[in-house]
Amino acid sequence: MATAPLAAPQVGSRERPEWIENLAGQLLALIVALVIALLLGSVIIIAYGESPGTVYGAIFHYGFGTKNGFGYVLTEATPLIFSALAVAVCFKGGMFNIGVEGQYLVGMVTASWAALKLDFLPGPLLMWVAIAFGILGGIVWAVIPGILKVRTGAHEVVTTIMMNGIAVSLVAWAINGPLKYTQQAGFHTPNLRTDAFRASAKIPDLGHLFGIGSSVHLSWLLIGAVVTAALVWFLLKRMRLGYEARAIGASPGSARAGGISIGQVQIKLFVISGALAGLVGMQQLLGDKNYLPIGYEAALGFTGIAVAFLGQNNPIGIVAAAILWGVLARGETAVQIQTTVPREFVIILQGILIISVVVTYQLAKRRLLARQLQTAADVEELADSAAAVDVEGLAKEDR
Amino acid sequence: MTIRTSVVPGDGAGRASAPPLVVMTGITKRFPGVVANDDVSLELRAGEVHALVGENGAGKSTLMRVLYGMYPHEGGTIAVRGEAVKIHSPRDALALGIGMVHQHFVLVDTFTVAENVILGREGAAILDANEAERRVRELADAYGFQIDPGAVIEDLSVGEEQRVEILKALYRGVDILILDEPTAVLTPAETSALFANLRALREGGKTIVFISHKLDEVLQIADRITVLRRGKVVGETTPSRTTKAELAEMMVGRPILFRLEKPLVEPGEAVLVLEGVHAGRLRGLDLQVRAGEIVGVAGVEGNGQRDLADAIMGLQPVESGSIVLEGQDLTAMGTAEIRHAGAAFVPEDRHDQGLVLDMTLWENSVLGRQGEGEFSRRGGIMLIGKIKRSAERLVHDYDVRARNVDTSARTLSGGNQQKLILARELDGDPTLVLAAQPTRGLDVGAIEFVWQQILQQKAEGRAVLLISAELDEIYALADRIVTLFEGRITGEYSPNAPPDEVGRGMLGGVRAEAS
Amino acid sequence: MPLGDIGAAIGIGLTYFTIIYLTGLGGLFSERSGIVNIGLEGMMIIGTVTGSWGTHHFTLPAPEGLGWGLPWGPIMGLLIGMLAGAAFASIHALVTVTFRVDQIVSGVVINLVAIGLARFLSTIFFGQATQSNPGQPHLNPVDLPLLSHLPWGLGAAFQRLSPMVVVAILMVFPVWFSLYRTRWGLRLRSCGENPEAARSLGVRVAPLRYEGVLLSGALAGLAGAYLSVEVTYGWGEGQTLGLGFIALAALILSNWNPIRLMLAAFIFGFAQAIPLRLMDAPVLRLIPDQFVRMTPYVVTIVVLAGFVGRVRPPAAAGRAYEGATT
Repeated sequence: MATAPLAAPQVGSRERPEWIENLAGQLLALIVALVIALLLGSVIIIAYGESPGTVYGAIFHYGFGTKNGFGYVLTEATPLIFSALAVAVCFKGGMFNIGVEGQYLVGMVTASWAALKLDFLPGPLLMWVAIAFGILGGIVWAVIPGILKVRTGAHEVVTTIMMNGIAVSLVAWAINGPLKYTQQAGFHTPNLRTDAFRASAKIPDLGHLFGIGSSVHLSWLLIGAVVTAALVWFLLKRMRLGYEARAIGASPGSARAGGISIGQVQIKLFVISGALAGLVGMQQLLGDKNYLPIGYEAALGFTGIAVAFLGQNNPIGIVAAAILWGVLARGETAVQIQTTVPREFVIILQGILIISVVVTYQLAKRRLLARQLQTAADVEELADSAAAVDVEGLAKEDR
Repeated sequence: MTIRTSVVPGDGAGRASAPPLVVMTGITKRFPGVVANDDVSLELRAGEVHALVGENGAGKSTLMRVLYGMYPHEGGTIAVRGEAVKIHSPRDALALGIGMVHQHFVLVDTFTVAENVILGREGAAILDANEAERRVRELADAYGFQIDPGAVIEDLSVGEEQRVEILKALYRGVDILILDEPTAVLTPAETSALFANLRALREGGKTIVFISHKLDEVLQIADRITVLRRGKVVGETTPSRTTKAELAEMMVGRPILFRLEKPLVEPGEAVLVLEGVHAGRLRGLDLQVRAGEIVGVAGVEGNGQRDLADAIMGLQPVESGSIVLEGQDLTAMGTAEIRHAGAAFVPEDRHDQGLVLDMTLWENSVLGRQGEGEFSRRGGIMLIGKIKRSAERLVHDYDVRARNVDTSARTLSGGNQQKLILARELDGDPTLVLAAQPTRGLDVGAIEFVWQQILQQKAEGRAVLLISAELDEIYALADRIVTLFEGRITGEYSPNAPPDEVGRGMLGGVRAEAS
Repeated sequence: MPLGDIGAAIGIGLTYFTIIYLTGLGGLFSERSGIVNIGLEGMMIIGTVTGSWGTHHFTLPAPEGLGWGLPWGPIMGLLIGMLAGAAFASIHALVTVTFRVDQIVSGVVINLVAIGLARFLSTIFFGQATQSNPGQPHLNPVDLPLLSHLPWGLGAAFQRLSPMVVVAILMVFPVWFSLYRTRWGLRLRSCGENPEAARSLGVRVAPLRYEGVLLSGALAGLAGAYLSVEVTYGWGEGQTLGLGFIALAALILSNWNPIRLMLAAFIFGFAQAIPLRLMDAPVLRLIPDQFVRMTPYVVTIVVLAGFVGRVRPPAAAGRAYEGATT
């Protein structure tokens, strides 16, 4: 029997490449979620006797209306980008890194140590070294639950959260001990912060290039964040590690049967994730305050999770989502000052948004798949009818 | 395979006078992209075994799932005992006396037999375990079923699990029992036992719907046969009025060959050698596969097939013994190394071991080879362009029907998914091809294609290890047949050996000499 | 070190046991029905803030015939915390059962939203975002009959306990009975082990899973309310201290068994007590305070890493179910 292959007929080549369909679907899902959130938020606004237009307008104007306002938004967004990237990297590999919170705190401690103890380093080198130590701290803190997961199967959701708790105590100990405040005895209450770093450790201000005030603290770290997002995109889509991570996240059994070493890849993901997490605190530490205060939690780790989901764990989406979140975060102040609605309303808005987004994304995914199945079946049918003619011919020959 | 019995299957003629119990008229059922049932009509009578025959994807299971209320249907009507009914859920179906035993059992592993049987019909808000077991025992005895109501499902054999499934239906007083591919997982002896049970049920006035693609068995047990092809009814007949070849032709729409020509190749050196392997369920397994030879491992599922494949591929730790491929010791190697050493793997589970469904075709085409020089550079950057071109070539050569290589693997049909896996695995010029249940769930066209590819591998001098639960497949392809039972090779046979001899080996019988 | 310290530590351990056990039982119902619930912490948080409000709101000025001398404030606080927890959990149920969003994603979202929602509610209830008003009443404490007379200071562990501790311990009976001796329990467990099997027999999986999740919210909410009403006598942001996750760890350790869960909950509960009462113990005295405070977290990690190999979760928990969604 002949084994000549049958040519698979091309069905009207590429009317619409699938990645565009996917993107359109995701964008639509985001918009629908936003609309739902705004609508439900309106209900609350009206309950307070205000008009939704006023409130939303205030938020929008506060974020986009002035240069400084937008500058603040970008400053807020900078750490969120790193945080969301850290979450997304692990998520693509099928893991949940809820420990960004603790990882960036530890990163801040190690960066502070470097900034204080290595202050003999010249000029900008101090800044780079401090950042490097920040990254290192994040890596160490992330790798511990990572190794535990790979070696013992301990679920990373619980272990990373426990590490968060430990990190808080660690920061307290550091500020009480090795990094104690010594610069001005008596006046400032000790145990609340470290000494100030040398000015050379500070990340240079970016805002002044655009006429944005220095009190906004918009630093070059923003550029770093965007570049990092692009690098993460490249890693996930174009590099072998990203490919293997995605395979593990989507189908660990097939990845394993294909020879991918799941444990090794997962640990590498935690390392990268930890490194990204370590950068989260750098904006506050080296872009703004230039010392480490106690009680600085700011929930950047958890917010990063929200931003990651909002951005569909896609580096490009994450940058956009971080900016959106920055607008909302600044909007809290606007709402507080300009309306009778309490600032916590924005938090509710954010909450509704996250819930809506995960639901709409899920629905969009299913819809998209159904449509792709339909198209694929059309292809199959067309190809079959073409092949049937061939087979009929063959069969006649055999008889 | 013939099993002689003293009861001659009826031909339905004597029962033609009884009014039909179930009448399905003009049933249409669509799924995204496919019409599973297209204007199908079917009649079921009391006290008969009615076989529903067709290849994979013909719509037989779908039709019965519609009857069982698991799917809604778009067109047509159903009448039970003369009255038009709407069946919205299994609950409705059970209320009408219709029960179904699925191909893949739906039993709760951690519950006992009795708990599984009474689930959903417990009788009271507070449970009484003893009472439940008593009732189940009574029911089992009434039909001659051997089963212990207090046993936990995890500990039961496949044949026993099937009995539990049937008991579930009987417990609900069904008159119509639908069995979906019931013998797929049974040994020849268990199949006999099942048929005896089915005859007892028929004598008791029950109706059995026997969905199967195994024509020999259908001819043995059925009173009437309905043939489906691509969602339509193409024939209704009885065993006395038809033959296996005729049924096959109705199923596929053209005459098919049951035996492909096996290329004549002189086997070379032993390529794969397993000695005394203890891994998972395997207990001291010895096996050899030579170059240019296809060794078929026959056996009922659950005797170590999965562990055998996994052990060779490094997915299952080997406790003792050795696995050697062309002089290289695989025993302690990781999967990636084993593949590099020349092993290709067509796994039994397409979805959980073969493909990453959420990835595209081109991404799947390099799974396992993404690190190779032609697909990625030293720094770890992948050469997307090259990979896509290679994928396009594979899709063309192996007749994978898809819009383009950017489409998600999830959109492919089972047959095309399997072709993609084959393409990927065979393209790497392996020394050993390990194929486990390679044609499970495929339609005849795809089965033929896969068989051809496997024979081609032999013709090119490769060693092929074929693990299959389908004796037809083993006979069609293998040069040597071995039987696997409880983790050990229990017999070696030539393809000329009669099936019941092989069947005995599958049950742990005496080692027969290869003739 | 006087044994009285140990006694006090055990007493505190019982307090935290109550929180962890109740929450863990909630998690048990949810996971047994097939829905992984890591949002227990969030549900607990809702319980804390609403429980505090309920207590304030329903505290009658002075008994005037009505009231029968019962402390209605705390009682209503506990009840309201429970109901609020269940209501909040309905979001998790809707998102995972009806919309089939990944269960862990949903749980994480629930936790995020809870923090914000608690702040918002606090603003409405108390006029400030992060804590409640002072002067919140609580239930009358009880002394356990025999145990409170134990010698060597151990008796202190069992004196002046909140009645809720007793309630928590007694919970094991109705929970065990409902899961293993009732029709409802059998069906619920089948949804968690093999929902296809359940469905094929006419058992309606979606409603049962809703019930499982709502119960988990109710119990976690009750635990939270207990925390704010009976333990800290007030609501404060962050007071849940990750106990919701510790409860998860306890649940895993107990292999999803309500009786074993008691032991696990007590181990973790006692770990909480160590930094609070045993800082001056011989070895611990040498370690900096902040490190001792890490104890509960370290214990949890060690337990998860060391003892989890042999557990068996409900087979279908975590997987999307392709059947009916309502």
